[in-house]
Amino acid sequence: MKTALAVAITAAFTVAQAQDKPAASPPPSWQQGKSAAQAESTLHPFAIEMTGKSAKELPVDKLKVPAGFKVEVWAEGMPGARTMAQGDKGNVFVGTRQLKEVYVVRDSGGKREAKVLLKGLDAPNGLVFNKGTLFIAERGRITRYDGIENNLDNPPEPKVIVDNLDPNKQPGHFWKFLALGPDGKLYFNIGAPGNIVMPSYMEASIMRVDMKGTLETVAQGVRNSVGMDFNPKTKELWFTNHARDWLSDDTPNDTLHRVSRKGMHFGYPYCHQGEIQDPEFGKNRSCKEFDPPALKLGAHIAPIGMRFYTGKMFPAEYQGNIFIAMRGSWNRTIKQGYNVMRVKLDESGKIAKYEPFMTGFLVDEKADPPMWGRPNDVMVMKDGSLLVSDDQNGIIYRVSTTK
Amino acid sequence: MLAVAFLLAGAAQAADPNLCVACHGAGGNSTNSAVPSIAGQPRQFITTALYMFREGYRKDAQMSPVAAQLSNADFNELAGHFSGQAPAPPRHQARPENAAAGPALTQKFNCTQCHGPRLLGQQQMPRLAGQQFDYLRDQLRAFKAGKRGEMDGNMTAAAQPLSDKDIEVLADYLSGLGG
Repeated sequence: MKTALAVAITAAFTVAQAQDKPAASPPPSWQQGKSAAQAESTLHPFAIEMTGKSAKELPVDKLKVPAGFKVEVWAEGMPGARTMAQGDKGNVFVGTRQLKEVYVVRDSGGKREAKVLLKGLDAPNGLVFNKGTLFIAERGRITRYDGIENNLDNPPEPKVIVDNLDPNKQPGHFWKFLALGPDGKLYFNIGAPGNIVMPSYMEASIMRVDMKGTLETVAQGVRNSVGMDFNPKTKELWFTNHARDWLSDDTPNDTLHRVSRKGMHFGYPYCHQGEIQDPEFGKNRSCKEFDPPALKLGAHIAPIGMRFYTGKMFPAEYQGNIFIAMRGSWNRTIKQGYNVMRVKLDESGKIAKYEPFMTGFLVDEKADPPMWGRPNDVMVMKDGSLLVSDDQNGIIYRVSTTK
Repeated sequence: MLAVAFLLAGAAQAADPNLCVACHGAGGNSTNSAVPSIAGQPRQFITTALYMFREGYRKDAQMSPVAAQLSNADFNELAGHFSGQAPAPPRHQARPENAAAGPALTQKFNCTQCHGPRLLGQQQMPRLAGQQFDYLRDQLRAFKAGKRGEMDGNMTAAAQPLSDKDIEVLADYLSGLGG
């Protein structure tokens, strides 16, 4: 009896020990959605230079723009430089995603100086400047800094427009892009909480908020948009979107979308690029249920900042064109993107042209890493030149005409 | 601690590699099992690690005050210097059974996927080959316990499936690895 009891106790103890193993933490969100066949894949996202890199150490002369244009380094020393917005007095504000800073570049006749304007923010990636106020979209809130250009050395305290945008501190796609609508409301994204997961009621969408903090859904089924702008002619919202990873090298495409009415649903997580059923969520569904994109941009090309060209510097054929910064692939064997593309719409608003505008960041499409820089946002300056930010190095370039 | 405090007094001037070799060893090759070698570490790994210490993602009684004094330009300079230093051949000799079991473990737990097929590191991922034994073991244990700061959660997730025995074998194997 004693021996049997001892054996039973030992067995129970052993079982208890095995069950004591701590629960495995979930894999990083970029690995979610990998199939068993992809377990050995060495594809991985690239890390930016957290301390920035100096332009003099980079092959900046490799940058190419069309005949009649030139490109130069405009400002540097801003690690993680991403979204840009220009103030009434010409100062350029620069947000970051992986850092906590917002920079300002002051152009005081001859000397251009970049410095940290705000610190301690939570992924301050969304920036809008309007009538003296800088609006910032962080992970969980949208704030305003009134009269900031008169107080660059001592910025005012932020006033919160809306809070609680990320109540669950979601692991993926929590950074936001911000755009001001013709209706005076602020438009932004709330991305999916992972690569290919069922989003919550607020996620995988384009939202807008008024100055009193009232939220509305603008569109759904958007996995993650980090670039949007309003067509100056039609006043409609256009936005870029990053499609899912770990499906294949060539599917699905990242996409460009046009919001032409209320209640549009662009398919995520059920359908991708308007026509590919997701193997898990799209079973037994028809993609005809959803709204297709305006343009398929390429697979794993990472379209981010976009602007309609409204400046007076570039030739007339560029009026109303869309410039899109393609930050470039990680989830593809042969890397692509790492450039600024140009989209031309015809008179009826249909896509007429889609071609490269600025190239040269990509060195070797098969290498790891394949590039020396990554364009992230584009912004039309008051003088009509185009600024391009590079968050890999913390540098901003400027494209202008040579005439 | 006294030696570090003395050196910190002059640290405001420029990034002086001598500030680092006081603990990390001549040429960045540590002779203290608890202190990591930094010789031949990828440049972007060094800048990212220093950034994490300064910004508080990683906290260490020695490294945090040192990093707090330095600018991004200092970090870039120091990283350029130490990434170019030759790593010394390891003095540590792994036990034969761990040297034999090590390679399969680094495949099984996906170490080679990021740290490279010979564990020499790349981009922001450190060189593990020939790193100090106690340091490696302490970091793996800390990652597994969720107590080691990082920016992307990759290592915390990667360390979860490791048993205490796996950590011992890996630390022993890696610290005896040349290359």
